[in-house]
Amino acid sequence: MRAPIQIVKWATKELVEAELFDEVTIEHFLEAQKEWRPVVIAAARQMVQAGANRESIPRHWHWDWSSKEADLRILAFSFFGITVQDKLQGLMKLETVGWSGRIASQKGKPLAYVDYLETAPWNIKLLMQPLGRSPEFRAIGTRLIEAGVRRSLEEGFKGRLALHSLSGSERFYLDVCGMTAVGRDPAKQDLLWCEFTPGQAEKFLNEGAA
Amino acid sequence: MNTKRTMTLNLTHQEMRVLEELSNQKDLSKTAILRQALRLYQLVEVKLSEGGKLFFEDQKKEKAELMVL
Repeated sequence: MRAPIQIVKWATKELVEAELFDEVTIEHFLEAQKEWRPVVIAAARQMVQAGANRESIPRHWHWDWSSKEADLRILAFSFFGITVQDKLQGLMKLETVGWSGRIASQKGKPLAYVDYLETAPWNIKLLMQPLGRSPEFRAIGTRLIEAGVRRSLEEGFKGRLALHSLSGSERFYLDVCGMTAVGRDPAKQDLLWCEFTPGQAEKFLNEGAA
Repeated sequence: MNTKRTMTLNLTHQEMRVLEELSNQKDLSKTAILRQALRLYQLVEVKLSEGGKLFFEDQKKEKAELMVL
């Protein structure tokens, strides 16, 4: 699947043509490691040196997409990427087996689980500020979550989707996407389990992020 | 999504009954249940081939290794 989408240029709020795809390869993982990781680490280092609050320092500096190469051949996992002029702007790993709803009305019903979602660091204001740069694009995360909801619909999950949110992203999933905060998960570093019901997912797709 | 291909599947009454039960329990179509089963089977096979083990833990926290053929 390759589909044209639109994201937003941070500085001017202009719409920018981008491409969403699910034919992710090891080359994309290597690009993320080579192009993204040094920027995330540099920003984290600057934040530490500036005495930033520990909670605000990015917790994904150690992520390694290339370690997920073997997962590319597994049907239970889907990967999505977004590029602008062939430059990778975001990646997501979605699991479509083994997860079910935790909201009382959705208990036992299968859902798509976002295992990893990462936006290129130059699109994250929090990371660009310590480096004295302005972010480039916004709406990458929104477009990836939309892709996850659509895959959930294709799988017959009625749009149900969930994830464990890093602390710095909770407001995005709850306030911008409109997911429900179900509770902290002690089995997953106390991260917050955020979930879309079918109704919330439909609203998110139809009305867009808040 | 990749282009889909069609196949005919013959099930016994008992197999169809179980498929329908799972379909109702999980709020999924019968086709979606079978696709889930295929995904799960492949995932387990890959993990086992990589040296992983599959366990079930009961309520007493006792683990039993599951044999997969």
